[in-house]
Amino acid sequence: MGTRSIASQVLSGVGVAALSFALAGPAAADDKLNIVYTHHSSASNPFWQAVKKGFDDACAKIQANCQMIFTQTEGSIDQEVANQQAALARKPDALITTLIDNNAFVANLKDAKAKGVIVIASNVDATGGPERELRQAFVGQNFVPAGMTLGRRMAALFPKEGPIRVLVGVNAPGQNWSEQRAKGIMSGLEEFKKANPNREVTIDRLDVSADGAIVSDRVGAYLSAHPDTTAYIETGLWHSNVARMLKDRSIPPGKILLGGFDLAPQVIEQMKSGYIQVEIDQQPYEQGFLPVMQVYLEKKVGLAPADIDSGEAVFTPEQADQLMGLAKQGLR
Amino acid sequence: MRNLFRIYLEKPELAGVALLVLLAAVFEAGSAGAFLSTDNLRGILGLLPEVGLVSIGVTILMICGEFDLSVGSTFALTPMATSLLIIAGVPALAAIVLGLLLAAAIGFANGFITLTFAIPSFIATLGMLFIVRSLTVVVSGGFPPLLPDDLTTGEFTQFVGPGGLFRASFIWFLAITFAASTLLAKSSVGNWIKATGGHLEAASAMGVPVRRVKLFCFMLCSVMAGFGGIIQVFRLHSPLPSIGDGLELQAVAAAVIGGTALSGGVGTVLGAVVGALLIRVIDNGLVMTQVDANWFKLAVGTLTIFAVVSNTWLRRTARRIKVAG
Repeated sequence: MGTRSIASQVLSGVGVAALSFALAGPAAADDKLNIVYTHHSSASNPFWQAVKKGFDDACAKIQANCQMIFTQTEGSIDQEVANQQAALARKPDALITTLIDNNAFVANLKDAKAKGVIVIASNVDATGGPERELRQAFVGQNFVPAGMTLGRRMAALFPKEGPIRVLVGVNAPGQNWSEQRAKGIMSGLEEFKKANPNREVTIDRLDVSADGAIVSDRVGAYLSAHPDTTAYIETGLWHSNVARMLKDRSIPPGKILLGGFDLAPQVIEQMKSGYIQVEIDQQPYEQGFLPVMQVYLEKKVGLAPADIDSGEAVFTPEQADQLMGLAKQGLR
Repeated sequence: MRNLFRIYLEKPELAGVALLVLLAAVFEAGSAGAFLSTDNLRGILGLLPEVGLVSIGVTILMICGEFDLSVGSTFALTPMATSLLIIAGVPALAAIVLGLLLAAAIGFANGFITLTFAIPSFIATLGMLFIVRSLTVVVSGGFPPLLPDDLTTGEFTQFVGPGGLFRASFIWFLAITFAASTLLAKSSVGNWIKATGGHLEAASAMGVPVRRVKLFCFMLCSVMAGFGGIIQVFRLHSPLPSIGDGLELQAVAAAVIGGTALSGGVGTVLGAVVGALLIRVIDNGLVMTQVDANWFKLAVGTLTIFAVVSNTWLRRTARRIKVAG
């Protein structure tokens, strides 16, 4: 290996170290709380940017050293497990995390408990098993009841007569958040079906993906095959693209009812235009903000963290203007 | 039969066309006539230019002997930058040009890193995939910006043609397909691209400027991806930072289905278009025929493998017949 080669390797090493230092936050001070938030989403998901804003704002208020760790791949459990391990190796004061699987995080949560790290589940909780005993509280939405609320609210808007056909779009088959919301929606719709035994009610479930262009194409294909569709209900926020597709097809607002979860400016815009009738919000800002405050209260005054249901808030087009202001600030 | 195989050997993308016709017939029958309805064809042909442009760029780069895994991220960053410029008050045309220049710069960086440091483009562009995706999130602040209501995008999005079957983007797509196909099949640059990908050392010895040819292909690939992204964002009116995620694999699949050799030197633009169309048709047709949500990806994967296997079998059989003849 030549001198130049060694020099270039040393220089590149120094460069990487300098870059890491430049991108890292301020060095931890002894009296500040160290809080890490690990979850299952990538940085390109706008929902999680609202959670991050709440998390960062709360950390600024209590002057804590905080870090939110995203995964590289959307919904990757193994990457979240690895991120938790890396975070726990630094022995933080608290780990805030999403429990999107009932078993994958047990070893890490046991490790956290052994090290005296406060663990608060946020956004997604385990549906059963030891993880629920190992975390101290949950701040977030209960997906099945929230889905059921959406199903019921949409069913209340169905025509009073004639056959009903509903498409339930599952954005991430196999993932807790999407499957549980879909389960809740289906339960809400099944209630309607049982309450109307003399009406023909068809409920279809489709993998629509979590890419707006694909969602729009697949739902469009379904509507071509079933022009009598009454409603499209989704587990995510990509139905704003479906609204645009309906507009392109000159289908008037309200002819095919639309409903889904979470608020983004694009969703609120379509609520204002009349295409989206019902939206369930889970308050992402609170899911980032409140766990930090719970850690602060536990550490500073000894108040134990408690469960907080951040949302099953139902929104309709009348509230769109007010929501748009909050969405633009990253608070909804 | 023998003649058919001979024709296929000259035009390998015809196997894809044959498969396309077969699948369209199956889906049309399975959907009680809805598959070929105007509304559904509008859906397929609306999305095709976006993925098709990416596939053409990736195909030309693969023919040149290189890969670009960062196209999905470029597909997101280019329209994000364009949208932010428009929101900041820059005229739409200037914003589009600046966005495409940014895409060209990404392509140049991909090529420069790959060629200067002699590392596989697979690795260099994998790194760029993460860098560009991260930049997309950073410039947007994580939240999707709203395009102005009065922004006119009719040059790309308005419905044209008989019965409003196509969007204007489809005309752009046809024009670019024709230009790229002519470039590859009938120009000296096209010959250089094939020679560089097929026989790098021989091409270099014969005076082909292989480094410049590769740099050109990297930049062309990124610009195509960026343009595809701009069209999609204008169509959906929604510059989400997550768009194009996984598009790189779809583009490579489209290229291979269309007869492009992974080893470089062989492939056609028309093949890439047929490959992209096949993927869209399979996806759309399976929805039409009501495949259960849990089995959906299995069905898409199986049909994709079937398309590649049948294409490969046809090519081998045609070559054997040619040799025997």
